[in-house]
Amino acid sequence: MYGQPRLVDYDDEESVAVVRRERKGMNSNAFLQMSKVSKTFPGVKALDTISLEVERGEIHALIGENGAGKSTLIKILSGVNQPDEGAEIYIEGKKIETMTPLESLRRGIVVIYQDFSLFPNTSVAENIAITTDIENFTPVLSWRRIRKNARAALERLGIDIDIDVPLGELSVAKQQLVAIARALTYDAKLLIMDEPTSALSKGEVELLFKVMRNLKESGISILFVSHKLDELFAISDRFSVLRDGKYLGTFGEDELDDDRLISLMVGRKIEYTVYPKRTCTDKVLEVRNFNKIGNFKDISFVVNRGEILGITGLVGAGRTEVLKAIYGISRQDSGQLILDGKEITISSAQDAVRHGIAYMPENRLREGLVLRKSMADNIAITVTDRLVDRIGLLDRGKIKDLVEEWIRKLNIKPAIAGMLATKLSGGNQQRVVLAKWLALNPRILLVDEPTNGIDVGAKADIHKLLRDLAEGGISIIMVSSELPEILAIADRIIVMRRGKISGEFDGATATQEEIMNKAILGVKQQVAS
Amino acid sequence: MRNAAIGKFIQRFKNKEAFLFLVFLLLFALMSVISPGRFLTWRNLQSMASQFPEFGIFAIAMMVVVVSGGINLSITFTAALASIVGGILLSRMSAAGIAPALVLLAAIPTMLVVALACGALNGLVIASIGVAPMLATLGTMTLFEGICLNITKGGSIAGFPDAFLWFGAGSILGLPFPLILFIVVAVASYFIMERSAFGLKAYMIGCNPTVSAYSGINVKKVLYGVYLFSGLLCALAGLLMSSRYNSAKESYGSSYLMLGISAAVLGGTDIAGGYGKVVGTVIAVMILQVISTGLNIFGVNRYIINVIMGGILILVLGLNLIGSRGKKTS
Amino acid sequence: MKLKLRQNREFGILAILVVVSAIIGLNSSVFFTVENLFDILKSNVVLGMLALGMLLVILTGGIDVSVGSMIAAVTVIVGQFMKHYTGNVALALLVGCAAGTILGAVNGILIAKMKIPPIVVTLGTLSILMGLTLYLTNGTWITGIPDSFIAFGRQTIGSFYRQGDDMIGFPVQFFFLAFAALLTWFILKFTLFGRGIYAIGGNRVSAERVGYNIDRITIFLYAFEGFIIGMAGVVHTSIMRQVDPNAFNGFEMQVIAAVVLGGASTLGGYGSVFGTLLGVALFTVINNGLILMHIPTFWQKIVVGIVLIGSIGVDVAQKRYWENRTTKVDIEEA
Repeated sequence: MYGQPRLVDYDDEESVAVVRRERKGMNSNAFLQMSKVSKTFPGVKALDTISLEVERGEIHALIGENGAGKSTLIKILSGVNQPDEGAEIYIEGKKIETMTPLESLRRGIVVIYQDFSLFPNTSVAENIAITTDIENFTPVLSWRRIRKNARAALERLGIDIDIDVPLGELSVAKQQLVAIARALTYDAKLLIMDEPTSALSKGEVELLFKVMRNLKESGISILFVSHKLDELFAISDRFSVLRDGKYLGTFGEDELDDDRLISLMVGRKIEYTVYPKRTCTDKVLEVRNFNKIGNFKDISFVVNRGEILGITGLVGAGRTEVLKAIYGISRQDSGQLILDGKEITISSAQDAVRHGIAYMPENRLREGLVLRKSMADNIAITVTDRLVDRIGLLDRGKIKDLVEEWIRKLNIKPAIAGMLATKLSGGNQQRVVLAKWLALNPRILLVDEPTNGIDVGAKADIHKLLRDLAEGGISIIMVSSELPEILAIADRIIVMRRGKISGEFDGATATQEEIMNKAILGVKQQVAS
Repeated sequence: MRNAAIGKFIQRFKNKEAFLFLVFLLLFALMSVISPGRFLTWRNLQSMASQFPEFGIFAIAMMVVVVSGGINLSITFTAALASIVGGILLSRMSAAGIAPALVLLAAIPTMLVVALACGALNGLVIASIGVAPMLATLGTMTLFEGICLNITKGGSIAGFPDAFLWFGAGSILGLPFPLILFIVVAVASYFIMERSAFGLKAYMIGCNPTVSAYSGINVKKVLYGVYLFSGLLCALAGLLMSSRYNSAKESYGSSYLMLGISAAVLGGTDIAGGYGKVVGTVIAVMILQVISTGLNIFGVNRYIINVIMGGILILVLGLNLIGSRGKKTS
Repeated sequence: MKLKLRQNREFGILAILVVVSAIIGLNSSVFFTVENLFDILKSNVVLGMLALGMLLVILTGGIDVSVGSMIAAVTVIVGQFMKHYTGNVALALLVGCAAGTILGAVNGILIAKMKIPPIVVTLGTLSILMGLTLYLTNGTWITGIPDSFIAFGRQTIGSFYRQGDDMIGFPVQFFFLAFAALLTWFILKFTLFGRGIYAIGGNRVSAERVGYNIDRITIFLYAFEGFIIGMAGVVHTSIMRQVDPNAFNGFEMQVIAAVVLGGASTLGGYGSVFGTLLGVALFTVINNGLILMHIPTFWQKIVVGIVLIGSIGVDVAQKRYWENRTTKVDIEEA
């Protein structure tokens, strides 16, 4: 379809250098050109006049921290969301007025979602090749043709999978390759992959890269989002960096090294109030040798009374998994939990609550609040035993008092107990979740991304609340991807990388670069080996 | 748009229950006006008052489960099984010449226990094993029916002591016992579901089971409680039915499954869970009862009445859909 | 197209079928006679056809409890038609299939367009159809079916078995079952409609993303189920030679049990025509065995209940097993 694949031996330095020189001299025939692309959501500017250019046959990496705007960009490219006015998007030189999902597909932009959009109960061949039949409304299917097309797609990728096996039997890595093969049947010219290697082992990543190189040789462009810098350096031709919705630039491999990259990603003035850090020594909770296959390994740390312990790292490092294991909603394979010097077992959220541990999940809309119920119901739900009268019925007066107390203490607006949770702003929703847990008078508060999706002003308020709570004696374990936030309020900092603890810092003296370094790993060494 | 307009109209009656009550009064008035000689008689009113309690109890038995996010297809056969087992005790002990008081004392708690066992089975399959309520109760419903048939061999159990008839026909201070029982059940259900901690938890689970679990609620325990409570209510409904018919058969009350769902939905219970008021269900039961009795009096063929009741269920669900669409667009 | 997983399941059911048949055969000398087998075949053609239609519904993760009243309604319509007009088989089939298709389509439209859960919709249509059917017949049987139709019902195809003085072959009804099975098999395997059904059952969100029109497929499949029910109604009437509006009360549970016994998953996405036919055969054999061994037929309902609960439990257990297989984070080595 795109002519004879060019044979390049990627293990041969000379041959690689030749290709690079040739490409630099090539007419920069861009497949995709975006400029002045912005996207504003109520209260937050997700993208701010960004530009992006992807050449034909190029593997282009999109780098940025959580919240930098990568997913929003992908949604715009795939037509799911519309950019603000003034955006200019050109595909193969032609300007696109409105990008709809259908239009995007027609232009050859195919997104591989994290769940692959595949069917576990049908064969690999069907998953790959039935797309053309669906588009053409084929009255009678020819399995010979479907299987032939599926085999051809897999051949183009240079991999070998049994096409007659039900997809559900394949490993996640192979399923991903099937998803890519299907993208080829859509006549994909630009493949967008979101964190494609997050569930793969080292060997599987190698296979994926081999496939990606084959695609590249046949002229297909790949835009992929990742935070794993070592892998990015191994496979990408160029990198574009986003930070806080802004485009920082596009760089070739030789133009960028670890340090430069890291400072580009995080180097920002800390906008938040930095609170004075305290040294707490009264040990409250100890996590010892927590292990869970596929999630984390050798996790041991200590939390003292009244301190805020920040756990940071890149997305996928395993931080949330550790919190969930401590809280009991998932189980670790081995490890001990010691509270006040006594070993305890927590195997359910109830156990945790009984021990005075509370958990504010990352996804407050789906896991933290019951949106269709009122503020009052949401706050009261954890402490119903305290709200009943002698017969066991809920005492409306007590509920009212409780809710009003927390509305006051946490400054929840609007101060209407009966207001549906879904109608509150992000910041106030978070306060309601906080109220629900504080009502329990917990000793330890586990918080996952406390200011996710909340505007800057409200973030500062939540920071103050957390510091006040800590001063009041509550121990807080806070997972956050926002370095400035961690540096602003955490007394001690733990960095996780790929499921293990890679560093510990004192909150008062740590710098962003130091932390980032531990979060990512010296890339140069990795690539060289 | 039409849909939005209808939605807004329904919305204007902020208190949906008040709206339902209005509908009930209108229907009642309508029936009385069309046929005062037959509808508005003391005899007819008494007959309705002794029929709708068992319907109402079934409806509440369905409602409490739906509110928790599930459905209970086994309500009618739980009642049947309970009354059949109780019925066997009643007839055998009575034939053996044992005093009626003792017979009742043995049989009635047995009915309750059998129904609770049914509810416990539902709880086990749904809460402990994790099967979807629809499928689980589809299975238990068939199982219970099978056990019923196995015991009765298709016939009915009769030979109850006369004292047993009092539950269906007797009265206290002029009010028929079924009505009193129903009022007790309704009031108790109101307090248990809408005013107790248990009830609050059940509603939360119906809205979002994940958040509920994360908030420290013992979801298993609450679900068991819900299905046990539902089963208990079925026993009471079965008691009323077998007393009125003076016999027990597995087919008694089979129409109450669909009617129970209709009443719950008509009364404002969200079929997906999380919402529903006892008073709404009660008024819906009264509306459906008036329609059914009224049509009966006008000589409408009983089969056509079934058709109409079935149509009402679909109509109500359709209206709910339009109503919720109207809410979204307004 | 070979899918190993499914094949294993079906051979498992076949094995169970063989074992159960052997047990019954040992206990009753009548079981393995051609007469008995043909009898079983003939009387369970209807179950077989209804199970095929139900298979499509269950594949999408839905359910239909109105099939009993639907087939009753069709038999009444066809019966009345033949009584008053003609015993012409072709016309009877036309009327029956048309009636069934329309009734099925109504279910489909309510489920697809009004987004009401299938269990609730089909409970409603069950009531409506049963009410209408009983009203039209007043609960009584319809007799007086034209002789030409009855003669058709007695026909057999082929002649290789001696019964009395005649040589007979397969009951003609069997070929309707074969036709329905082939048609369903063809649709499921070779049409987008069929593959769409599997897609919806496998991953509804993906099905939408890939471009299947879920609403249209849903309406179509309930209509097709209705079509088969219509055919089955005519077939049933040809066997019974009269119409009993109450003949199918509660029949839906047996149909569902047979489908589930045949390996279809109640959660949707897994199941096949071959498996369903095996399930019907197994269910039928068990029932026949109960009769031959003089075990009261009331046990049948209990068997159905246990089969349902058992299969659902197995489905849930399997789902849990598959869910635990995914790993999340790749842990740094060394």
